[in-house]
Amino acid sequence: MTRLLPKRLWSWAALLFGLAYFILPLIGMTEFSLKMRRGVYSFDAYVKVLEDPKFQETFSFSVFMALFTIVFGVLLVVPTAYWVRLKLPRLRPYIEFVTLLPLVIPAIVIVFGYIRLYNTSSWLPLTGTAAGTNLLLMFGYATLSLPYMYRAVDTGLRTIDIATLTEAAQSLGAGWGTILGRIILPNVLVAVLSGAFVTFAIVLGEFTMAALLNRPAFGPYMQLLGANRAYEPAALAVIAFGITWGCIAIIQLVARFAPKPATPVKDL
Amino acid sequence: MTETPYLEIAGISKSFGSTQVVRQADISVARGEFVSFLGPSGCGKTTILRMVGGFETPSQGVIRIDGRDVTHLKPSQRNIGMVFQSYALFPNLTVAGNIGFGLKVAGASRGEISSRVEEMLALIKLPQLADRYPWQLSGGQQQRVALARAIAPRPSVLLLDEPLSALDAKIRVSLREEIRAIQRELGITTIFVTHDQEEALSMSDRVMVMNAGRIEQIGTPFEVYNRPATAFVASFVGTLSLLEAVVSDRASGEVRVEGVPLAGLRIPERLANGDAVRLALRPESLRLDGRDGDQQFEARVTVVDFLGSVIRIRLQLGGTRISLDSFNDPTRPPPSVDETMQVHFDPQSVLVLAD
Ligand SMILES: Nc1ncnc2c1ncn2[C@@H]1O[C@H](COP(=O)(O)OP(=O)(O)OP(=O)(O)O)[C@@H](O)[C@H]1O
Ligand SMILES: [Mg+2]
Repeated sequence: MTRLLPKRLWSWAALLFGLAYFILPLIGMTEFSLKMRRGVYSFDAYVKVLEDPKFQETFSFSVFMALFTIVFGVLLVVPTAYWVRLKLPRLRPYIEFVTLLPLVIPAIVIVFGYIRLYNTSSWLPLTGTAAGTNLLLMFGYATLSLPYMYRAVDTGLRTIDIATLTEAAQSLGAGWGTILGRIILPNVLVAVLSGAFVTFAIVLGEFTMAALLNRPAFGPYMQLLGANRAYEPAALAVIAFGITWGCIAIIQLVARFAPKPATPVKDL
Repeated sequence: MTETPYLEIAGISKSFGSTQVVRQADISVARGEFVSFLGPSGCGKTTILRMVGGFETPSQGVIRIDGRDVTHLKPSQRNIGMVFQSYALFPNLTVAGNIGFGLKVAGASRGEISSRVEEMLALIKLPQLADRYPWQLSGGQQQRVALARAIAPRPSVLLLDEPLSALDAKIRVSLREEIRAIQRELGITTIFVTHDQEEALSMSDRVMVMNAGRIEQIGTPFEVYNRPATAFVASFVGTLSLLEAVVSDRASGEVRVEGVPLAGLRIPERLANGDAVRLALRPESLRLDGRDGDQQFEARVTVVDFLGSVIRIRLQLGGTRISLDSFNDPTRPPPSVDETMQVHFDPQSVLVLAD
C-alpha cells in the first residue's frame, strides 16, 4: 500500500498535466474571443464572424464539398475494402500501404500534379471550369481523407464475418449490389460515419489545395481572417472546435444504435 | 435407388492447387430425401457441399438439380438454401427481416413476404421474436431463424454445414429432431454435413461416409452401421473392437484368435487359409450369456463402467482391448475387475476385415 500510493499520485499528476495542456489554451482562447468589447465579456466577435457573408459563403461551400467528398469516399472505399478482405486478403498489407501514402506525400505535391495534368492546355482541361476544379478539389480531399476512411471501414469490416454473410446472401439470391447496399454497408455504418466525420473535419480545415486551386473554401478564409483581425479568429477557432466536438458526440450517439454482431467473429 | 435422382452429383473432383480434396464423388439424392455427409475433419464434406451451393467450382464432373445442369451457375441462381455453423444471420436486420430477405431479393410483394415470414416463424415456434435482432437471441434461436431464412424462399435443395456444432449438447439433440421434423413436413431435399455419427445415424434417410476425399459408403444408417463396406467405415461409425486373427479353415469359417478357434464366421471370398485378418466386434453384439450357435472366448475384465441402463465392460484379450455393452440386469451384479469371464457372440455379427 505504501508503495502504491505514490504511484497513484503520479498518475493523477500526469492526468492533470495533460488536461491543463489541452484545456488552458482553450480557456485562454475562448476568454480572448469574448473580449472584443472593452471591459465586458460579449459575443460581438461571434456575431461579426457569423454575419460576415464571406463566412457564410465559404462555410457552405466547404460543407457541400465535404458532403460530396464523403459520398465519393464511401463509394470508393467500402466496395474496395470489402473486396480486398473477401477476395484478395493477401493484398491487404499493400493496399493499406497505398492508402497511407497521403500521410507522407504533401498535399502541395498532389495539387501541383493535378494542375500539371489537368490544366487548360492538357487532354482533360478540368481546371478550365469551376465545376471541373471543384471535382479536382474533391478528388484531392478524398485522397487526404483516404487513410482515415480506409482504416475506419476496414476495422468495421473486421467485426463481421463478411465471407459467411456474403455466402448466406448469395444463396438467398442476392447480387453484389444488394449485398453491398443491404448487408455490408449497414453493418459498417458506424465505421463509415466515423470516417465521414474525420473527412468533414479535414475538408473544413484544409488550406493548401483550396488555396492553390483558387476555390472559395473555408480554410483559406480562416487564414485570411487570422492574418487581418484580432478577436474574430479566436471566435472562429472556438466555432470550429465546437463543430468537431459536435461530430464526435454524433459518432458516439450513432454507435449506440449500430447493429451488433451476433457472434464474436475471429479475425481472418 | 429406385426413384430418379433429384440432386445428382456425378464424377465430381476438386483440387486446390496440387492437392486433390475430393476424388470422383458420385451421389444421387432423391426428392425429399435427407442425406448426411459423415467423415473426419478435412475429408472434403464441406467442399462437396460448397460445390453444390455454387461457392466452389468442381475441377471435374457435373452437378444436376432436377435434371438441370447447375455446375457453372452462380450461387444466387441456384435456388439453394444454406445453413451455416456460425448461423450467419444479418446483424442489421430483425428476425423478420432476415427470414424475408430471400423473398425481398426475389421481388416478392410486401403482403406475400409478411405472410410467409409469419408461416416460417410458426414453423420454428418463435412467433413472438419477429422484431428481435440476432444479438438478442440465443444460439439455438439464431440457428432456427437461420433455418427459416434458408427455407422461406422455397429452395430446391437445403444444405446444412454442421449447423449444430456450435450449440450445447441438450439443444443440439432437440434441434436435431426439430430440423428433421420440419424437413419431413416440407419434403425438402436435404444434405446435412456433420462429423457426429450419432447425428448422422439418427437423422438421415441415408448416410454417406467419406474419408480423405473419397466416398467410402452410401447407405441407410442401418446398413452403414451393421454392414460397413470398408474397414474405415467399420471403425469410424460406432465403437468397435478389433481382434487380430488368422484364417485357419476357410470352409467352416474358422479363425484363430490367440490360438483360440472361433467358427461359423463369414469370411470374404478372396481370403485363404493362413491369411491375417481382423475381427470387428460391436460392443452390443458381445454377450455375457451364451445362446445357441454362439462362439466364445475368455477375457480378463479391466474396467467396469456402470452407465445406468447399460453396463460397459472393458476386457483384455492378449494384447487387445475389447468393449462389451450389456443391459443392466437388477438381479445380477456386474462382473468385478480382474475377474476372467466368458464372452459370447453370434458369429454372424462379426465382420471379418482383410488386413
Ligand atoms: N479454399 C481452399 N484452399 C485450399 N485448401 C482448401 C480450401 N478449402 C478446403 N481446403 C482443404 O480441403 C480439405 C477438405 O476441406 P473441407 O472443408 O471440405 O473438410 P471437411 O470435411 O468439411 O472438414 P471439417 O469437418 O473440419 O469441416 C482440407 O484439407 C482443407 O484444408
Ligand atoms: Mg466442414
